[in-house]
Amino acid sequence: MGKRIVVDPITRIEGHLRIEADIENGKIKDAYSSGTMVRLIEEILKGRDPRDAWAYVGRVCGVCTSTHSLTSVRTVEDALKINIPANAELVRNIMHCTLYMHDHVVHFYHLHAMDWVDVVNALKADPKKTSELAQSLSHWPKSSPGYFSDIQARIGKFVASGQLGIFANGYWGHPAYKLPAEVNLIGLAHYLEALEWQKEIVKIHAIFGGKNPHPNYLVGGMACSIGLDDVSGINAERLAMVDRLLEEGKQFIEQVYIPDLMAIASFYKDWGGIGGGLGNYLVYGDLPTKGINDPSSFKFPGGAILNKDISKVYDVDLKKDDEIQEFIKHSWYDYSGGDEQGLHPWKGESKINYTGPKPPFEHLDVKDKYSYLKTPRWNGNAMEVGPLARVLVGYAKGIEEYRAVVDKALTDLNVPVTALFSTLGRTAARGFECALTAQWGREFFDQLISNIKNGDTRMADTSLFNPETWPKTAFGVGFAEAPRGALAHWINIEDQKIANYQLVVPTTWNASPRDTKGQMSAYESSLIDTPVADETQPLEIIRTIHSFDPCMACSVHLYDEEGTTVSRVNVVGD
Amino acid sequence: MINTNNKPVLLLGIGNILMGDEGVGIHAIERAESFDIPEWMDTLDGGTGGFHLLEYFEKYRHVVMIDATLDDKTTGSWRKITPRYASDFPRAMSTHDIGLKDLVSALHLSGRLPEITLYVISIESIQQQGIYLTDKVNKGMEEVLQDILATVHEPLAVV
Repeated sequence: MGKRIVVDPITRIEGHLRIEADIENGKIKDAYSSGTMVRLIEEILKGRDPRDAWAYVGRVCGVCTSTHSLTSVRTVEDALKINIPANAELVRNIMHCTLYMHDHVVHFYHLHAMDWVDVVNALKADPKKTSELAQSLSHWPKSSPGYFSDIQARIGKFVASGQLGIFANGYWGHPAYKLPAEVNLIGLAHYLEALEWQKEIVKIHAIFGGKNPHPNYLVGGMACSIGLDDVSGINAERLAMVDRLLEEGKQFIEQVYIPDLMAIASFYKDWGGIGGGLGNYLVYGDLPTKGINDPSSFKFPGGAILNKDISKVYDVDLKKDDEIQEFIKHSWYDYSGGDEQGLHPWKGESKINYTGPKPPFEHLDVKDKYSYLKTPRWNGNAMEVGPLARVLVGYAKGIEEYRAVVDKALTDLNVPVTALFSTLGRTAARGFECALTAQWGREFFDQLISNIKNGDTRMADTSLFNPETWPKTAFGVGFAEAPRGALAHWINIEDQKIANYQLVVPTTWNASPRDTKGQMSAYESSLIDTPVADETQPLEIIRTIHSFDPCMACSVHLYDEEGTTVSRVNVVGD
Repeated sequence: MINTNNKPVLLLGIGNILMGDEGVGIHAIERAESFDIPEWMDTLDGGTGGFHLLEYFEKYRHVVMIDATLDDKTTGSWRKITPRYASDFPRAMSTHDIGLKDLVSALHLSGRLPEITLYVISIESIQQQGIYLTDKVNKGMEEVLQDILATVHEPLAVV
């Protein structure tokens, strides 16, 4: 008989995620993913003014603070048939690209890098050799032997003080760490640089959105006035700052993040064959250049891929009753029509009914209900969402920008295209699209400046802002590609108020429990057959789960006292 | 908000406004704005915080934080802590403790840790949803704000 191990919570994420995995002969045979907290934003929104929804939904998470607000204004605009001015679209796109640049860099260095980089081993590196290696990888100026020995001294002092802090939860010295000490030291140095860097790039959100965290949005456009000579609005001085931040951000991504990603990946090519999972990918699409209603204009094209077949990309319709549905067979909810049915979000219900074991407990009852996440399906299929899905859809559609970046990386690493369907592929895809969004951010900025110089400073269409202009009932859906994947909100407006509001978020697609047919979702599926060298230190599970960039805060809409325990790994069973 | 006026002290509220008493830090910032705040103090609704807040910790010399905590103490009671290391933070400091602790460690590592005073208010549950505080926690919040105004002083000018 195999062993069941429990990882709860998976660390370095917002919110609480629990993984139970059965291990047999050193490999994972079965896996269960559970969201252990719930946040009923849907109930808070009922009866409110739809124009205010963005301010509430923006609070479901502190990580991708603006994505939900963006999706919400798009949802209301769809319901009320409001078209936003070109400048508002550009400002939203610049903010969205900024989010990608920030979020992906922070994910790579601060949430995921320590799964690959052994911090303690970095103390053994030779600073001179590290410097030579760094200079062979990139032109990034901070690469002298003195720089690396200084970093080593600081970390050494920190480790010696016994206050490991950020590094306290690592499995240092685990046999699955494969990097030479010098690469570990480069990774660690850039962990610290990225920390300083990330606080700069987010200022773009404060400039356009008035504040950060949680910048301001507006139904009908953006709530900022713009003009080169505008004293209190977005003027030439502030635009020059955005220009500089976008350029510095792009340089960091191209000269630090991407070379590090490729250097680290070259030592972990075996992970190009681990953690693939479903092989079904779903993208709603984003970064419109001619309005949200023209999908052909999207920088992130939408579509679905089934069974790793990139010769065919299927269209996705968020409004069709039978395409996207949520199931609760294994979720702590009740549907008025019973547990077997799937509901389109416009008909969605969110009545909680916790039937799980009373904490503290050893195992969840995985034969019954075991998560606060619902289970979304597209045409009955379990789908992975996120960077890998986006890169694969762009690549499958033959778009040159995607082809160029992916083909170069495959050639440099000397791996086949099938290596993309993996944990490594997921982590690499995040880097690819981060580099793309850094380029696109500049393109959107140049276009914005050109519009302003041509005299177009319109930022909002408020002709339908007054509720008296609205129909008695309206339905809308708004979508976005959050850094973690496809995100959509569905709204029903009745008598100028929100009658129903449903969110289906990326981590729900990826981390949900099984459906009525017993099909696994992306996390569970990706863990099957993963080797685990030491079940008391399941680094391999964490690598694959972190490769999805889990964020539970919005996917489950509370904690129980169990959720507040420090991270632990239990080995149970025999 | 970007600190362009070089005020030395930041009053920072942390929490999730959608989760009842857990959002007490955010409510405190809203409430503080109706008080007579000294001209050397800024206020910031930090949301659920994390790395986004690094720039504020580097810009101010003293950061006074207000957050919820889930412990066994009486609901609405509060404590004032001066943490030096991330491990000095109370363990069950709500949903966002990981991000905030990481932030403090990182500041420690970079040698840029400002003076930090942390007020924690005990709440009964983080299973609440909604955007309002219970009476006990609201009372605790008022006491914390009074204590801040009475005991936090303007730091001496840097020579």
